[in-house]
Amino acid sequence: MNPTDPVIVLADIRKKYGEFEALKGINLDIRAGELFGFLGPNGAGKTTLIRILTGIIQPTAGRVTIRGADLQRQPEAAKARIGYVPDRPYLYEKLTPREYFDFVAGLYSIPSAQAQVRGEEMLRRFSLWEWRDELIESFSHGMKQKVAMSSALLHDPDILVVDEPTVGLDPRSVKVARDFFKELVRQGKTIFLTTHTLSVAEDLCDRIGIIHRGTMVALGTLDALRDQAKAPGSDLESVFLKITEEEDLPPPANPA
Amino acid sequence: MTVTSLLVPALRATRRNLARRHPKVMAALVIGGLVVALLLYYGLFRFLAHVAKAPMLGPIIGPMIGSLLVARFLEMIYLSLFFMVVFSSIIAAFSSFYLDDEIRLLMAAPVRASRIFWSRFLMMLAESSWMVVAFFTPIFFAFATALNAPGWAYLVFPVYLGMYLLLPNILGGMLALTLSTFFPIRQMRKVFQFLSALVLAAMIIFFRFLEPEKLLNPKYFTSISSYILNLRAPALEYFPSVWIQRASLTLFEGDLHGSLVTIVPLALTMLGGLVLLHLGARFFYLRSWQASLEAVENQVLGLEWIRHVLIIPFRWLQRDFRVVAEKEVTIFMRDPAIFSQIFMMAAIVFVYGYNLTILPLKDLPSLYSGEINDSMVFFNGPFIGFILAAIAMRFVYPSISLEGRAFWAVKASPLQPSRLMWVKFFFYLVPILGLGLILCFISNQVFRVTNDILFWLSYINVTLMAVVITALAIGLGALYARFDADNPLKIAGSFGGFVFMILSAVYVVNLLILEAYPIFRLYFLRFYPLVQGSGKVFIILSFFLLIVCTMFWVYIPLIQGKEAIERYEPD
Repeated sequence: MNPTDPVIVLADIRKKYGEFEALKGINLDIRAGELFGFLGPNGAGKTTLIRILTGIIQPTAGRVTIRGADLQRQPEAAKARIGYVPDRPYLYEKLTPREYFDFVAGLYSIPSAQAQVRGEEMLRRFSLWEWRDELIESFSHGMKQKVAMSSALLHDPDILVVDEPTVGLDPRSVKVARDFFKELVRQGKTIFLTTHTLSVAEDLCDRIGIIHRGTMVALGTLDALRDQAKAPGSDLESVFLKITEEEDLPPPANPA
Repeated sequence: MTVTSLLVPALRATRRNLARRHPKVMAALVIGGLVVALLLYYGLFRFLAHVAKAPMLGPIIGPMIGSLLVARFLEMIYLSLFFMVVFSSIIAAFSSFYLDDEIRLLMAAPVRASRIFWSRFLMMLAESSWMVVAFFTPIFFAFATALNAPGWAYLVFPVYLGMYLLLPNILGGMLALTLSTFFPIRQMRKVFQFLSALVLAAMIIFFRFLEPEKLLNPKYFTSISSYILNLRAPALEYFPSVWIQRASLTLFEGDLHGSLVTIVPLALTMLGGLVLLHLGARFFYLRSWQASLEAVENQVLGLEWIRHVLIIPFRWLQRDFRVVAEKEVTIFMRDPAIFSQIFMMAAIVFVYGYNLTILPLKDLPSLYSGEINDSMVFFNGPFIGFILAAIAMRFVYPSISLEGRAFWAVKASPLQPSRLMWVKFFFYLVPILGLGLILCFISNQVFRVTNDILFWLSYINVTLMAVVITALAIGLGALYARFDADNPLKIAGSFGGFVFMILSAVYVVNLLILEAYPIFRLYFLRFYPLVQGSGKVFIILSFFLLIVCTMFWVYIPLIQGKEAIERYEPD
């Protein structure tokens, strides 16, 4: 694979739930070291696309390639390069964070010692080290989110896919997460994140894609989006509202 | 908002779940279920009709004692039914009253707590009783037919059964309300330990109460009159099982008025129970539900040392196998809802062992004893299969569902679904097979089997059954996975659990049919040399077919389960 090749390629991704088309042919290339923000109103298809990108669900049509590996044909190779943090951090509640890390390390076939060292580093970063041997069931939403984020990085993935990273986190933890994402990008990692907190996207993202009703309605740098929205000098919130307002259509009959 | 309108979401969800099933699968299950029900009905009817006459005791005493035996048998069934429903209703009540997510929403709505309680009670009633009704209705109808009940009795009887089933549910609901007042419901360790001990003790005491072995043998009594008196005396005089047994017998005799009079104590108790439950719900439900919201106490059980010992053998296995196995052991040891079922299973094994010890083998005429003992070894196989299936239903079948909402972590990882299926299959096969072989060894010792073929065949049969039952439990557990369920009993008692038990029984029948000819020829006709080529061919063909069938019974559920996991889309 050429170093300049995109690390994530989404080619004509479609997803149908019965008659309802959640994604209507998404095409996207993301380069190495890029922090890509994926925005859209509720029900636009963000989480569906993220789940397809991480191999959790299958697209109805289209192809996902992760660093040259086809997600459907070589799922193990493709998935080994991704770390995923879901929007709702459901974890094995009867395990402690350290036991959970050991479990995840086994799923990714990485040595237990490496997982523990990396896990310790992450837990300390998120001020959770004192909780390392407590059952996850006693954790708050934000603490679980931090454990999920830590576990996603155990295998040192090239690509981090994060769905709503700031939900449930306290302001200090949001800052820690933001700084950490920047640090990862500096190290050459690629981050694909969705968020409703537009200030986070504005602050962090190199490029932004806006999805609305299953279609990518805008894609580019913040300046490019301003041009598209014919709103020079506006903040991302205004740009987002303008773009999604223009595209607004009557709601679908069956969103399930 | 009425109680029935509160049930609408649950009814819609059930209808959607049923609609999701493939019509052919549904049709096969309905037809299969009806065939099993008919077989059960007809087989029991023939048995009861024979017992009612007791021809071996002569034309005068026989029918007299026979009818008493049938009546006692009916009472035992009612009593067992009561305990079964009490236990399942308590477990269902915990989820239904306290742990289901939607209760928060309902409690926040302007709806009276007692109405919410009664809507949840109806859901609990359906959950704890539907399988019991499906299984026991043909049994009770067999009694009715054997006792020559008139046609209208079949229409009245379900009303009696409904009232009777309400009682253990009311009791279960009350117990759940009471326990939740004293124990924080989310720290169910103590509650479940308490319940498990309670159920175990209840089962043992109940079993000793009945002394069923004595009922079938007048020899245990000093005279025939004491035998008859013992048969006439109810096991528990003032227990609802006696009321409904008497009402049913009177009804089946065609005396509607007499049966209505006899059922009055049951009806009054039921009404009294409903009033008490309503009062309990009014005063305690809201308070106990609020208590159930308390933060979870972060408890690592005092059984950690057992967990450490149990995970040692996996240290030397492949990494992915090791971590999945360690997680299974850890969750098993730390989740009281799973762990406590060990007690229930121990009780089943205890009852099985107890049954073996009371078999009157030493009373058999010596001429036949060897042959009968040997045959018992063969026919004992299905009983071991049943025990293994019952255990697998509670521990193995829920294992995929118990991955729960955390399953996204596995789906997003490079671990293939087929690998997960195989890891779980081998992980659970070891204890299921081990238990099966131990039970087989004990029963072979009790029966003092003399024939080598039957001796080795019993071990082979148990091994095959263990392999198929484990594969069915894992495969169907994945196919009918309920990742949103909050406790393993709910998962085991679901539609898929029912399918699992039916298919396990079908495999055991499949195995017995295919072995029937070889056993007949190699054992019962063992003194005739096997010279005919066709006999050898049939024997070889039977065993070959058995191996092929078993491979299908393992492969098909696992492959179906794997595909279901691949299709599954987490919330």
